Amino acid sequence: MFKRKSECQIVQERLSPYIDEQLNPADRERVESHLEGCPACFGELESLRSTVKLLRRVAMVTPPRSFAVAEAAPRPQPAYARSFRTFRAATAVAALLLVFTFAGNAAHLFKAGPVEERIDRQVTPAVGDGYGMNGALGEEDLEGGDALAAKEGFIWPVFELELALSGAVVVLGGATAVLWQKKRRGIEKG
Amino acid sequence: MEEDEIVKRAREGDVDSFNRLVEIYQRGVYNLSLRMLGNASAAEDATQDAFLSAFRCIGRFRGGSFRAWLFRIATNSCYDQLRALSRRPTTPIDDMPVELESDRPSPEDFAVRREIGEKIKEALAALPPDQRLAVILRDIEGLDYQEIARVTGSSLGTVKSRINRGRGRLRHYLERYRELFP
Repeated sequence: MFKRKSECQIVQERLSPYIDEQLNPADRERVESHLEGCPACFGELESLRSTVKLLRRVAMVTPPRSFAVAEAAPRPQPAYARSFRTFRAATAVAALLLVFTFAGNAAHLFKAGPVEERIDRQVTPAVGDGYGMNGALGEEDLEGGDALAAKEGFIWPVFELELALSGAVVVLGGATAVLWQKKRRGIEKG
Repeated sequence: MEEDEIVKRAREGDVDSFNRLVEIYQRGVYNLSLRMLGNASAAEDATQDAFLSAFRCIGRFRGGSFRAWLFRIATNSCYDQLRALSRRPTTPIDDMPVELESDRPSPEDFAVRREIGEKIKEALAALPPDQRLAVILRDIEGLDYQEIARVTGSSLGTVKSRINRGRGRLRHYLERYRELFP
């Protein structure tokens, strides 16, 4: 009983492609041999056929007017397309700044140290030897950009800068990706 | 002139050639929109949007079935209109009846056909949009399964399943009015 019911379901799922001659020979044979012995499925087939016949009698309506287009007018750009370019440029700028900051930090262009230390030093700049608690850094640390920064008593908040720029790149990049998707869907849609 | 040649000229920016394509396909696109939306003014808007979009984007048409490409754009316009319709009420004046073709145009026959047409319209409106689209493309517009797959961007298996389910639901809905059918 269960087997029979299951076969009926399988055949009924194929009735529509069967009507449209979309079944491969094996499936067609399976449907036909089942229909020979199953009046219920045969009834379904006939009923489906008359529904299809009815649908095919639906008259095509004449359009109320012509949809011919006039001469090409320049298409106003959607707002999101303009925003996309702005966000893309902003993302690029933020990413460049981030790379520059990383590279600068690696090349010791900025004076940078642990966060608490820098805070401490910026609050009480240029005390004693100019290094605050960081005297242990040694004279060699004063070479290049570090020297300039330290002499002026200002220490670059490189870590915070990197963090802020990373955040900016992620946020701007995300917004750019969303706008790009929207723009692409707009193109697909036309 | 062959359609491929007309499409080629339209792609080069020839408005007259594009308008020849509009002439060829506006009936199909309008009827697709009308049956999808069941609303005359929304169908007109969807058709207009579809042809404008096609005109702007024809440079991106990469060959194959132009009808499938155009119907895909029209389908997207219909989905936009469906969203818009769900936000605003429709007026009875937009209510376009479904007419059935007949070779016996007597007044009695006309009344029955009107009634059947009304039931078909209700049954189509009750279908989920993807099934409605598949059934309309197959049984009203007469596209083959491969073309429907291109229009809907679905696999052949999905198309078969949507048509089967859509027709099954229509059959079930219309079964109640079997006595009306010829």
